Amino acid sequence: MNSSDNRFKRSQELFARAAQVIPWGIYGHASPVASLPGAFPYYAERGKGCQYWDVDGNEYIDYLCGYGPMILGHQHPEVEEAAARQQRDALCLNHPGPVMVELAERLVSLIEFAAWAVFGKNGSDMTAWSMQVAREHTKRRKILKVADAYHGISPAWTPGHGGLIEEDRAHIHDFTWNDLESFDALLQRHRGDIAGVIMTPFHHPAFKASQMPAPGFWTHIEAACRKEGIVLILDDIRAGFRLNLRGSHKVFGFEPDLICFCKAIANGHALSATLGRKELRVAASKVFLTGSYWNSAPAMAASLACLEVMQREDTAALLRRSGEYFMSGLIDVAKKHGYTLSASGPPALPFPTFDTDPDLRRQQRFCGEVTRRGALFHPHHNWFLSSAHQPAHIQATLAMADEALALMKSEGL
Amino acid sequence: MLCRLYLDAVLPCLTDLADQDPSARAIMGDARASIALRVLGGPGARVTFDQGRIAWSNAPASRASVTLLFFSRAHLNAFFAGVAWAVPLPIWGGWRVGLLARFTKLAARLEAVLNGHTQVLASEQGRRLYTRLSLIAAGLGLAPLAAGDAQAIGTLRTLPPGLAAFRIEGEANSTVWFDLAADTQVSGWSDPPRRPDVCIVFGSLRLAYAAMRDEADTMAAIGAGEMTIDGLIPLADGLNVVMERLRTYLQP
Repeated sequence: MNSSDNRFKRSQELFARAAQVIPWGIYGHASPVASLPGAFPYYAERGKGCQYWDVDGNEYIDYLCGYGPMILGHQHPEVEEAAARQQRDALCLNHPGPVMVELAERLVSLIEFAAWAVFGKNGSDMTAWSMQVAREHTKRRKILKVADAYHGISPAWTPGHGGLIEEDRAHIHDFTWNDLESFDALLQRHRGDIAGVIMTPFHHPAFKASQMPAPGFWTHIEAACRKEGIVLILDDIRAGFRLNLRGSHKVFGFEPDLICFCKAIANGHALSATLGRKELRVAASKVFLTGSYWNSAPAMAASLACLEVMQREDTAALLRRSGEYFMSGLIDVAKKHGYTLSASGPPALPFPTFDTDPDLRRQQRFCGEVTRRGALFHPHHNWFLSSAHQPAHIQATLAMADEALALMKSEGL
Repeated sequence: MLCRLYLDAVLPCLTDLADQDPSARAIMGDARASIALRVLGGPGARVTFDQGRIAWSNAPASRASVTLLFFSRAHLNAFFAGVAWAVPLPIWGGWRVGLLARFTKLAARLEAVLNGHTQVLASEQGRRLYTRLSLIAAGLGLAPLAAGDAQAIGTLRTLPPGLAAFRIEGEANSTVWFDLAADTQVSGWSDPPRRPDVCIVFGSLRLAYAAMRDEADTMAAIGAGEMTIDGLIPLADGLNVVMERLRTYLQP
């Protein structure tokens, strides 16, 4: 970390210690490598609502929301109370608790096409398992996915480079988002051997603007999967519950066969889920699934509470309105300073990018300057809104953006 | 592929070897001559000695003091790998035995440095040489890999276009660059032709040395500010993967 003003002294100290005993110091998506070394905090201490504090006491309006889970904001009282109440009884028993049944019933009633649900702890658990279910159901090998799409850390599709062998991806094939020709070409080439297609509801590659589905894109893929007997897996881990409480497919007018949730499902408590059609129930029963903490009840209790709040408050609609207000404000502020900013992705998970910024430096500087002023803007990853973001928070953020852009303009950036 | 790497990535390192290494300069003495290397029906290169300095060019055509012919790419590869039987045929200037002997010694010195022989790495200066030359070879190797290595080509297809520059802080003339465009891929060792889209800077020779030896946690180094990547990070990330391919060909 090379911060010149000592704002991150404690973060620096912790990172120096971490680098001695932890590969990368901080690994994965939270690694400084992926953000802005020196302009981003590395370690955080506490959060409340849509704000959090790093270990040096710097305060931020949080536009990452823990990279997605905090859909209702940090320390939501109803969710935390439900989890705490459950934990007072037990944290991890030898058996699942009644809450697991209740949650499965609740989710199955929410997701119209689903007849069953299973649970894990991470998104990766669910996407990897879904791939196996698709193969079991179809007795086929191939899985199609969109190039650059993130579906977790399975060797089949991790964005990392190490520890892979050619065979890991021998049956994983990429097509291009919104390019039906490239999809159809794969369909043609591997006809009869395609087990599943796994996709996110909209395309949100790192380091690039997000892309919404073109008209007809999803319906074409859905129709092709139906016709060819291919299992359509919706990876709704990132967008789930933010676009629609009943699954993001509802927004785009199609129905998958399997849907994977994580992140927002329990407002920060470790839980993931896959739900599926009745026809896939037998295949699901044949693919082994377990984990050390997967029966732990507090996260499931938190999820029930979170679902209750999201339904009662129509969180998805609230986030859409907040996001629209936020993005239009940001675009206006940029315009005032002579910059063209485009708001990619859905308003609830926006990712604004500058129109002329091929080396990303403008984006990096902008996000660094706003973060310095107290609103965490990630330069390379889509942002997340929570229901705790009030208009006053967004207005304060826009004022920070205004200052940052004025500075950049004065420096000719 | 390997032949291209030797001619376009390894051989140019002679220039820096001569600039940085007194023992290499001692081998050359005050020679003023040029040696062309040609593969029968294939690529070639030329090195020019000029009183302690060495220049490299990938155009062997013009008259050289000595022209060495290799019957095949495998023949040239064996020569650079130090195989005893792989002596090239001097089709011109074969009588300049002294010059040929110097060139052979220089090639052996270069091989020892780039392969990180124990004796080379025993001294600070040796480690410095190893680090500089490894970075230069890795950077210059990107263009041949982009042209001929299937895995590298596959990786490069997924990367955004742009110019990447790699350098070691405090080391003059250590910048190597690679320009990835849709139709051309060019490597260079010099000041980049325009502002790089991404700059990868090793903050110290020590870190660069460890990185070249695959002994550094570069991700932790970036977090600690000991290494910086400024700009188009996905390009740097992908080129790092392509550079790893170099080991497949050149690791001793």
